[in-house]
Amino acid sequence: MTGTLQRPYVAQPVAAEPVITMVDVGMTYPNGKVALVDINVTIPAGDFVFLVGPSGAGKSTFIRLLIREQLPTAGRVMVAGRDLASMRRGQVPGLRRRIGIVFQDFRLLPAKTVFENVAFALEVTGAGSAEIRDRVPRLLSLVGLHEHDEHLPAQLSGGEQQRTAIARALVHDPAMLIADEPTGNLDPVTSWDLIQLLIQINAMGTTVLMATHNQEIVNAMRRRVLALEHGTLVRDESGAAYEREY
Amino acid sequence: MRLIRFVAFTVVRAWQGFWRNAMMSLAATATVVLMLVLLSGLFIVLGGLNSGLEFIESKVGVTARLIDDLPAEEVDALMADIRQLPGVAGVTYVSPEMALERLKESYREQGLTLDLGGAPITLYASVEIALIDPSFAGSVQDALAGRPEVERITTRQVDYEKLLGIIGVIRTGGIIALGLVGLTVLFMIVNMIRIAVYSRSGEIEIMRLVGASDSFIRWPFILEGILCGFIGAVITIILVAIVWEPIQPIMVRVFQMPTAVSSQFLGVLSAIVLAVGLGVGAIGSWISVRSNLSSAA
Repeated sequence: MTGTLQRPYVAQPVAAEPVITMVDVGMTYPNGKVALVDINVTIPAGDFVFLVGPSGAGKSTFIRLLIREQLPTAGRVMVAGRDLASMRRGQVPGLRRRIGIVFQDFRLLPAKTVFENVAFALEVTGAGSAEIRDRVPRLLSLVGLHEHDEHLPAQLSGGEQQRTAIARALVHDPAMLIADEPTGNLDPVTSWDLIQLLIQINAMGTTVLMATHNQEIVNAMRRRVLALEHGTLVRDESGAAYEREY
Repeated sequence: MRLIRFVAFTVVRAWQGFWRNAMMSLAATATVVLMLVLLSGLFIVLGGLNSGLEFIESKVGVTARLIDDLPAEEVDALMADIRQLPGVAGVTYVSPEMALERLKESYREQGLTLDLGGAPITLYASVEIALIDPSFAGSVQDALAGRPEVERITTRQVDYEKLLGIIGVIRTGGIIALGLVGLTVLFMIVNMIRIAVYSRSGEIEIMRLVGASDSFIRWPFILEGILCGFIGAVITIILVAIVWEPIQPIMVRVFQMPTAVSSQFLGVLSAIVLAVGLGVGAIGSWISVRSNLSSAA
């Protein structure tokens, strides 16, 4: 299903520094709800990390802090050595181009074709048509959708829609790809196809952080697992399985 | 190159956005047209009245009709006395012959011929007093009231003051009406952009996530409001250009004075209409973007 890999994009991890560093991070919402408590995590470039935990454990907040949708109420979040709290508003778009993100619900534009959905991410950051014509087909080839480029999202399966979302997330050669429950709406076979694609993307140098409830995938992959429970990091273990400690 | 792409992106997105919510956009544009037509009407009427006012100002002076057969020495003495009065800019003697010639001239200007049926006619001699300012008319009139050489004193001071009053009322009423319509227009544009922002919230979220800058997210919406103002201004300018010629004689008839304003005024008015249209569109959309996209972008 996936196309031949010929380094269609070049990821740009910062080798000397971890991609993600969280130091004593806490997050309490204005309504008093405590989402994260004292999180200390370092994710080196090129890592493949699962973020697991029950609903309400703080996974979404964890992700929102990484893309600076929110700032922590305690501690520091650093991406590629840069403290996000000290980042000016105008620098946030640059950060978000270094972090690709995909969601369970794909978030594609229904009136745009597969090609246009991916190209849109380039257009809105000022890319020229030559760059779009060059990059989009290569990314669609990477995710195995080069023959579906004229299809609308509604004409695609769930797996194909998620692949389109991944192509869009990779369009700026991010150092890191965050996947928030990417297999949540997919059947097991399609889920495995998607995981294979993420493994390939990781093999090309992109750090992958995948939030998931899919025990089967986590157990089979045996990668690093960050487990959250009630906003606390209860486990940070490499080569780990999905354990129901919560 | 990046700037050109940004401008092209913004223009295309604004145009698409305008027609995507066509009903709302056209309703907002219609209110812009309403406001600008009102503005143009006010400018035209006030311009016409001001030109009428200038005409009266040039005529406001005091005319002292002299008694018959007043000796030349007494006329000279009277004129010398008048020159000494405060506010007098000049004094001109109009003989009965000159008065008759003026009467004939005014007939000729209206395409008529003064037909006296061969009868001899003698008009009054008069002294026309030009004033530094129309406000001196009263004091000059008072000074001449008791003079035996003067049979009757006429002035257009009353006309002048009446016109000043009319202009004041129209200006005040027009500004209030314009203010109300202007607020309505702002409200319409703010809502038009708010609806546009909500209808494209999915797109905006994706733009944010893929690293689009604030300007790429916001400017299409601001330009959409400006586009609304621009289209409204162009429609108004066309409407004004169409009615420009026909309303000139109507104004003269209504106000009973030469109110015609120069065609150069049309150019100035068009520039004002365009500037106000663009300004209202920009302000309305800017307010909306500020309040609806500040947290999102």
